[in-house]
Amino acid sequence: MKALMSVGALIGVLGLLMLIGMIFGVIPSNTVRLVEGYMPMQVLSELAVFVAGFTGLSYLANSMGIAFPRFWQGVLFWVFIQTYLKFRIYPPIPFSVRAMYGTVSFVAVFMWVSANEEDWKKFRQPILNVLDANTGFHKALRTMYLILLPLLIGGFSFLTMKPSVDEPIELRTVHPAPPASTKVHGKTYTLQTSQNPYRVNLEGKYDQAYSNKLIVEQGMGRLMAPNANPWDEKAEGYLKYVREGGEIFFQNCHFCHGDNLNGRGLHAFAFNPIPANFTDPGTIAQLQETFIFWRVAKGGIGLPNEGFPWASVMPPWEQHLTTDEIWKVILFEYWHTGYYPRTWD
Amino acid sequence: MGSVTRTKLMSIMALGAMIGLLLLPILVAIPALASDGGAPAAGVKKEGGDAKVEKGKDVYYKTEGIVSGPPAPKTTDSEKDYPRYNFESRVLLWFANQQHLYYGSFVLAVPIFCMVIEFMGVVTKDKAMAKRYDQLAYDFIKISLTAYSLTAILGGILIFTFLTLYPAFFQYLSGIFRPVMHIYALMFVAESGTLYIYYYGWDKMKEGLLKWIHLSMSVVLNVIGTILMFLANSWIGFMMSPAGVDEQGRYLGNIWHVIHTALWNPLNLHRILGNMAFGGGVVAAYSAYRFLSAKTDEERAHYDWMGYIAMALGVAFLIPLPFAGYWLMREVYAYRQQMGITLMGGLLAWLFIIQATMIGILFLSTNYYLWQALGRMRGAEKYQRYIKYLVFLLTCGFLVFITPHTIVMTPAELKAMGGQQHPVLGNYGVMSAKNGGINVIITTTVLSFVWYMRGNKVSTVSWSKFGNIFMGCFFFFAYLNIIMLAVYGYYIPANVRVGLSVPQVATTLSCLFFMFALNSVMMKGAKQMGPIEWGKISARSQYALIMLATAFTWMMGLMGYIRSSVRLFWHVNEIMRDNSPWAYTHTVGFAANMISANVLFFWISIMFVFWLGALAAKKAPVEAKAAVPGRAAAPAVGH
Repeated sequence: MKALMSVGALIGVLGLLMLIGMIFGVIPSNTVRLVEGYMPMQVLSELAVFVAGFTGLSYLANSMGIAFPRFWQGVLFWVFIQTYLKFRIYPPIPFSVRAMYGTVSFVAVFMWVSANEEDWKKFRQPILNVLDANTGFHKALRTMYLILLPLLIGGFSFLTMKPSVDEPIELRTVHPAPPASTKVHGKTYTLQTSQNPYRVNLEGKYDQAYSNKLIVEQGMGRLMAPNANPWDEKAEGYLKYVREGGEIFFQNCHFCHGDNLNGRGLHAFAFNPIPANFTDPGTIAQLQETFIFWRVAKGGIGLPNEGFPWASVMPPWEQHLTTDEIWKVILFEYWHTGYYPRTWD
Repeated sequence: MGSVTRTKLMSIMALGAMIGLLLLPILVAIPALASDGGAPAAGVKKEGGDAKVEKGKDVYYKTEGIVSGPPAPKTTDSEKDYPRYNFESRVLLWFANQQHLYYGSFVLAVPIFCMVIEFMGVVTKDKAMAKRYDQLAYDFIKISLTAYSLTAILGGILIFTFLTLYPAFFQYLSGIFRPVMHIYALMFVAESGTLYIYYYGWDKMKEGLLKWIHLSMSVVLNVIGTILMFLANSWIGFMMSPAGVDEQGRYLGNIWHVIHTALWNPLNLHRILGNMAFGGGVVAAYSAYRFLSAKTDEERAHYDWMGYIAMALGVAFLIPLPFAGYWLMREVYAYRQQMGITLMGGLLAWLFIIQATMIGILFLSTNYYLWQALGRMRGAEKYQRYIKYLVFLLTCGFLVFITPHTIVMTPAELKAMGGQQHPVLGNYGVMSAKNGGINVIITTTVLSFVWYMRGNKVSTVSWSKFGNIFMGCFFFFAYLNIIMLAVYGYYIPANVRVGLSVPQVATTLSCLFFMFALNSVMMKGAKQMGPIEWGKISARSQYALIMLATAFTWMMGLMGYIRSSVRLFWHVNEIMRDNSPWAYTHTVGFAANMISANVLFFWISIMFVFWLGALAAKKAPVEAKAAVPGRAAAPAVGH
């Protein structure tokens, strides 16, 4: 047990030193990188390693008779979580989410330190000491708190009420509910049932399973599936349509959506918000092809009421592309990102 | 005739009268149903003496039917259709509706608990235990009785609010449901009659056959209550996903189609489970309130035990609730994709994040209560030192579960982030991760329950070591499976990903049922390290129960609002448009404030009910034997 805890403590100390080093620039900030495609699990795993490390440290300190006060364990662990979220994760997490995480981790720390009576007593003892003020030191602390707390609260209130020159927060509905049907170039498409006419197998029949096998693999590298190169001149059927869609994409869309389809094209940062990132699992991967068809055809100007504040400069592409071209470009977007369009069956 | 025989005869007659009352609405309804509820046959036009039958097509079932009612009124923004009282009519209706629903849910749930607890009391061989269960069931129904009167009053207020503020809409809806309106009213009478006989007959019918008759009355009571709720659900089901009418909203003569809409059954299931969880939460809060204000150890022991039972019953129904909600959402998507997207990905998506937060709070409170409850058992210390790992698992699951897909941020933050989706957190914002998160939370709750169940016991079966290792492995692989499937969900098509929730849920439920069963077998005849010292639980645990109940109430208000506002500007989806000046969707902030106001009012009023319940307490709580050192108040069944 002691050996296990020692290993845990070693990992904890190393991790902590590395994190501090990376924050203060003592060691390069990319020493341990968050790897694209694995970042979500990596973050959770790192936190698990830290918890194991801190447990080991606490165990070893206890066994050496230098127990770290439970109060400070709780406070510092919470501070550590906030530091990790603020400095480890890049790009920066918006404040609203950090506030949510901060509250949850605060509750979690409270649950931990008050899970049993003994721990709870240990945790609250320093607080009670200050409140009771039986010693000169505690009395001074209590007086300091009496002065500082109103000042802090006052300062916080002042900053909250102070007029800001920043643009206000907008709660934007990124994917508003689509209409039941949409009319493009004189033809009505029912969004729930329409299909991409170019998602076909070698026999020319609609076949999602066939096209799914030929898309780019996800994860690091984004490799093309074997014998599935749309730019092969012999490519026929689905792959040929993907190539044609790609040509349309690079002639029209990549200026904003980027050549890697990640929303970081040449003009992207001229817009606010920047164009959609198709490689994110929260965009086209969550939507039906017909939804994309509707959005591409109608653009920002065709957003419904629910799409308030209609913050999109996407042109209504039905004015520039044929229906077939729109379907093909959508085919390319799914192929390139390695995502499957949502289906309901 | 002896007095006992006379009492028995009276009881049997009372039961017969109740069954008669139960059947009466159905008997009365048969001729009404046969004649299409007596609705005016609007589709029959007389031209020169020849009757011409007009037919219409059902908007949902696509069947043809004879037009038997007027079309849905085309309202205008006028005093006639929407009378004004210098206040937003919708908010008044919202308030009246919500309060009625709170009390309605409570009084429908509590009799189900009473039935279960009274049954446990009847079948328990331990007489002291049987008495405690009986007392507990009586305590439960006592609280619900005052609440029942309030439910009826609030129901009356609700109808008057509808008639006064939305006359055109209410006239249309009551016209459509006319064939079953009187059944509802008669059911209510039957429910009242049964409830009063059940409550006031408690002492008279406490032995032998009479007790069984009394118990069967609770079954009758619950059958009536459930039918009542199903009927009420059919109205909201019709408003969300109308059926049985044509495109103009004309009734086509088939009342079953009107009732049995696309969302009726998912709503029924979700509401039964929700009511039970909510009812458990409210009774647990009542117990916590009585515990905290108790003057004696006996009182504390009784209300500690009562709180535990109420919490366990509430949580037993809370665990399957997310799965029932999942089914409801699936049916919503199947009915109208737009409706589903508006709910979960569009306009109302942020409310779902708040809902996720509330669900997380419910499970966190439950776990916290169980950990506190370990403190009243001698021998449970061995589990307490591992609680921090459960906190970590719960927190990770919770953080993933509440991460929003559409993040609230300033334009500056948006630019710094480089897009609408965060490359790390964006992955937590989608369904695959959230399914993983909630299943981790539920599995951890199951683990906490297992620890609690074996807190003061040491298994004496010969294979206990193997059993413990097996259980440990089972939980480990359950977590692994849930997390792996959550990650795998990103790499497969959406329709397959939706299917992944089945093995995830199956994993969680296997933990629940299989581990509970195995644990029970292992703990049969187990050595007790000490008694459960009822009443020796921390005050913090009682605040956790109050938190649990408040979160239930808040979430119920929230989900009701979401369900209602998904119709957007329709009174009846795609059939009758809301042309009032209030046909817009409220801001998230306003809705949250309104829900909080509703919750506050409910809790203030229910405190009054609790106070009345305490006033009516004539019986001293059953003596808690737990206070006697070295003796278990409630042996194995105490859990």
